[in-house]
Amino acid sequence: MSKTNSNRKNYLWGIIAIAVLAILPFLLITLGNKGEYWIWVITEMIIMALFAASLNMILGFGGMVSFGHSAFYGMGAYTVALLIKKAGVPFFLALAAAPVMAGAVAAIIGWFCVRRIGLYFSILTLAFSQLLYMIAFQWYTFTGGDDGIHGINRPEFFGPVTYYLFCLAILVACLLVMRMIIRSSFGLAIRTTRENPERAKFIGISVQRYQLLNFIIAGAFAGISGGLITELNRFAQTEFLHWSKSAEPIFASLVGGMYSLIGPVIGSTILMFLKIVLQQVHQSLVEIWALFLGLILLVVVLFAPEGVMGLRQKFLKKH
Amino acid sequence: MEISFLIFQLLNGLTEGMILFIVASGLSLVFGVLRVINFAHGSLYMIGAYLAFTLSTLFQDFTLGPYLLLMILVPAAVAVIGLGLEITLFRRIYRKEHLLQLLLTYALVLVLDDLVRLIWGGDIRNVSRPLVLAGSVDFAGFSFPSYNIFILALGPVIALGLWYLLYRTHWGNLIRAAVTYPEMLGALGTDVTRVMTGTFILGCALAGIGGVLMSALANIDLGIAMEKIIDCFAVVVIGGLGSVGGALLGSLIIGVGKSYLSLVLVRLAMVFPFFVMALVLIIRPWGLFGKPER
Repeated sequence: MSKTNSNRKNYLWGIIAIAVLAILPFLLITLGNKGEYWIWVITEMIIMALFAASLNMILGFGGMVSFGHSAFYGMGAYTVALLIKKAGVPFFLALAAAPVMAGAVAAIIGWFCVRRIGLYFSILTLAFSQLLYMIAFQWYTFTGGDDGIHGINRPEFFGPVTYYLFCLAILVACLLVMRMIIRSSFGLAIRTTRENPERAKFIGISVQRYQLLNFIIAGAFAGISGGLITELNRFAQTEFLHWSKSAEPIFASLVGGMYSLIGPVIGSTILMFLKIVLQQVHQSLVEIWALFLGLILLVVVLFAPEGVMGLRQKFLKKH
Repeated sequence: MEISFLIFQLLNGLTEGMILFIVASGLSLVFGVLRVINFAHGSLYMIGAYLAFTLSTLFQDFTLGPYLLLMILVPAAVAVIGLGLEITLFRRIYRKEHLLQLLLTYALVLVLDDLVRLIWGGDIRNVSRPLVLAGSVDFAGFSFPSYNIFILALGPVIALGLWYLLYRTHWGNLIRAAVTYPEMLGALGTDVTRVMTGTFILGCALAGIGGVLMSALANIDLGIAMEKIIDCFAVVVIGGLGSVGGALLGSLIIGVGKSYLSLVLVRLAMVFPFFVMALVLIIRPWGLFGKPER
């Protein structure tokens, strides 16, 4: 199959997928309460897909294993919550501030973390995300501590369907921007640093600077997803910053495949479905959600590290 | 502020530092030989603490005898758990990419922490101190808990024991050889896998000892695993991964620093490990005892 041909095919699939997703809420809303619940669920899936895709910018394309991506997700969430609740800023402005704030925090944390790529990077990202969690937890007067921030207003024109479509549009826009970044010379440089940092240095790529920039970009996208989830739930809570939240996009990238843009999106959706199925089987099963997440992660790491997308690619190569 | 109070606070900090050292040296040791950073090390420490809690409730009168029994039983139990993990999971990934190793131990944290929650629940637990150590010693107008003195005495014993094991015994030679040149060690006819397994078990036992000691020092809850592993990370960033001496220095810096800062503001003490970590990363990114990578 020629490259342009498969490219065109991908475009076609993409447009079909977006069209189906765009029509879906109008069908679901006719089902009444049950339908509205499902619209809410799929909106959450869309947002989590963005979160997963944002991590994959550093994990998959940059080869930087971050265990602290929840920091930027939570940062975006708290930015939107605090700006709307405490400063009375309109929603769109608050949402625009989310990636800026998350990116700024990523710049500070990243400045330290990219000094030791590899094992230390993972250690440091986890540690610094835990620092943000502790700050949000302890600073009761500002962040509401354990209670979080509740009762965030939603603009009147946002019903369940319109908010769903809004999130979908943002996801698609973000994915297109990410695609642009990955295909640019910057993206190429980032992938070079992943494959061979030594050689990247020799051919004149400033490895740390590129990695830091990529880290900031990933943080900013995570901030957008955090801002969207706050508006969906109408609250922000410390759980968004908890270290176990960072496991979800890692899981999504690993299951969906790390070396593609759409892999984490698929992985994240599978993950969310799993969560819902567990919830339907028995409510108490969700309480040991991390246990399931960990067990599946173990199995994937041991037996199918390339993930689903990787398996598909293997399959395509064989035939 | 009175000088005796400052000394009192120093001793408190050293007590915390000693426990941190015992746990962090296990992490560092395992990394040195296995080249795997075990994120689940904190969870093993937490399992040790909860096991100590359960076992301590079995004794009617908690004297020194039963406590010493705990000090042997719990690390042994944690070591057995570690052995199981090593055989079933870790052994499969020694020669794989770093990414997979990281993800595996990270997944293990998710599993182990939730298992602890399932078994022991989310309540705050505490272990009563053995009767002999429950009192306190008067010291320049302050009463210093006997239990802390016990830990202060035990820490150096364990540090010396580790040094003796590593530098004066046959096993220590094998472990150090496995750190520097595992292929050569294998070629000389030593079963490197056994050395690795042995080191891993030793690391887990150290986490277990730390858990027992902590269980009677402070309250234990589900947060202690993450709290301790972050402190351990700060220690290895400060001291350099794989260096037991660096682990000792890093632990004492963090223990004492936290203790003094908590006088000013508790929140400041919480941030201290991160502060030191950031400072070391700026000045000496490879750690105080580590060697620069080329």
